Order: sequence, then structure tokens, then C-alpha cells
Amino acid sequence: MAMNETDQGYLLPCGRDVEAVWDRLDEIDAHELECPHCLGARESLRALRAVTEEMSRDTSEPSRALFGRIMSAVRAEVRRGDMLPLGVGDLGPVSASERAIAAVLRYAADSVAGVRARHCQVWASVDVVNVELKIAVSVEVVAPDVVSMVRERVTTAATARVGMRVNRLDVTVEDLYDL
Amino acid sequence: MTAEHVITKPVVAAVAAHAARGVAGVSRLEAGLAGLVGSVARTARQRIKGLDPAPTEGVRVRMDVGVRLEVDIVTTADDQAAAVGRAVQRAVARAVTNATGLAVVEVAVSILDIELS
Repeated sequence: MAMNETDQGYLLPCGRDVEAVWDRLDEIDAHELECPHCLGARESLRALRAVTEEMSRDTSEPSRALFGRIMSAVRAEVRRGDMLPLGVGDLGPVSASERAIAAVLRYAADSVAGVRARHCQVWASVDVVNVELKIAVSVEVVAPDVVSMVRERVTTAATARVGMRVNRLDVTVEDLYDL
Repeated sequence: MTAEHVITKPVVAAVAAHAARGVAGVSRLEAGLAGLVGSVARTARQRIKGLDPAPTEGVRVRMDVGVRLEVDIVTTADDQAAAVGRAVQRAVARAVTNATGLAVVEVAVSILDIELS
């Protein structure tokens, strides 16, 4: 019988084993209908089963989401170290990550046809923001006005998307590439 | 007669987080590692009790004379990040004061990422 399977376990006061109750959680015999110990044990075990089932269902699906949350938390920790002030109001400072700003500016430079943004560094010195941008330009478009278009897009993005005035923007054409 | 009101930090944080999330241009709040660990623990604890906790991640609260908050957000690139940050400051200060009656001294906003569409 079921009792034989469990040789060592936690015995209820009525003499039955908790393991036995667990094994036959859904099939109740006459004793278990009456016995308050078995009833109590079964009730707790059912709750336990419900919770574990819910948890096991839980992890299969959102574990990827959790992974994403962990990675974004790690990235946030890195970014927290390089904040650039965007202004101080009545309620205190607003600041933004230099890396996040640099990504916006690189994206703006990339939007010019034939230009690939590479390194972009942003740093602040007393109320002004300086930007250093390195780009690679396609041989088909290389011309001085490409650089001035990059300059325009980058300063526009800095104002429109970030909300900062660029004091100095150094653009270096690092490389040419064949399209 | 004086009445003492005790409002815990998680309550203030939850009110602030809700307000910040509602501001146009805010993509999400950024928890960071400490916040993530705390929120996972808190969510697990409350789920056992059968409650869905109001999220507080991305908000840190200090309470001494008035309330000081630090809010970490991710904005969308369609809106000007600095303007979104100032809007978050106003929305959070208003919501916390309305909900708790506490004076908000400072709302420091950190934009940790700008999402490019």
C-alpha cells in the first residue's frame, strides 16, 4: 500500500505519514476525511503545491524578462557613474548619462547619408558641454559640407532630444570607406 | 490635539514611481541592481501574501525634514530629455504631496538611458 513507500518521514499524531498524505493529495480515503491531523496537513500541502506550481509556471516564461531586467540594471549601474548635469531647477538637479547622450549624438551623425559614427565622447565643464565625435565617411560623399551637415545634425539632436547646448563640437574624420 | 502620521518610504516611493511613469516621454523607471534585488524580494514576499505590490523600483527616498527623492528614468528620444526630467520633478513632487501631505524638498532625476526609436 501507499504506506509502504515511506519508511522515514514526519509522522502525524494520528500515525500517518506526511509523505503519504502528499502522495495521495487528490484521493482521499475514509480516515483522511475524518482525521483533523490529516485534513490540516493536506490543506497546507495543497497550498504548498499551488504555490510551487505557480512558481514553476512563473519562471519558465518571465525568466528571460528577469534576465533582461538584470542586464539593464547592470548597465544602469555602469551609467550611474558618468552623469552629466542638464540643469538645476527649484526641485533639484536633472542629469543624464554621458553614454546615453553620446548614443543619441552618434545616432544623429549616422543619419547623414554616407557617414558612420564611431567614437563619441561627451563631457561637461561648468555649464557647457563639449563633444568629441569621430566618424568614417564613404568615399562617394566625402566633402567639407558632409562634416558641416554632421555638425548641424549633432547640435540639433543635442538641443531637441537631450536639451543641452553644445559649446564645442570636434568632428574628426577618422576613416574613409568604399561603399 | 496632535496626530502623528507615519508614512513609510515604500509608500512614498510607490506614489513617486507611479507619478513618474505617467509623465509623457518616460519610457520606464530604471531599478538598478540594489532596487532589482529589493523589488524581487518584496514581490516574492507580497505574492505569498496574495498581494501585488505597487512597483517602487527606480525611486530612492530619504525622509528627514522634508522628503528627498532620487528618481532614475529611461526616456524616449522623441521628447527632450531635460524637459522630461523637469516634468518628472514636478509630477513626482505634486503626487507625493497630494497623497501624503509631506513637503517635497528635492526630486533629483537621473536619465540613465535615452531610447532611440
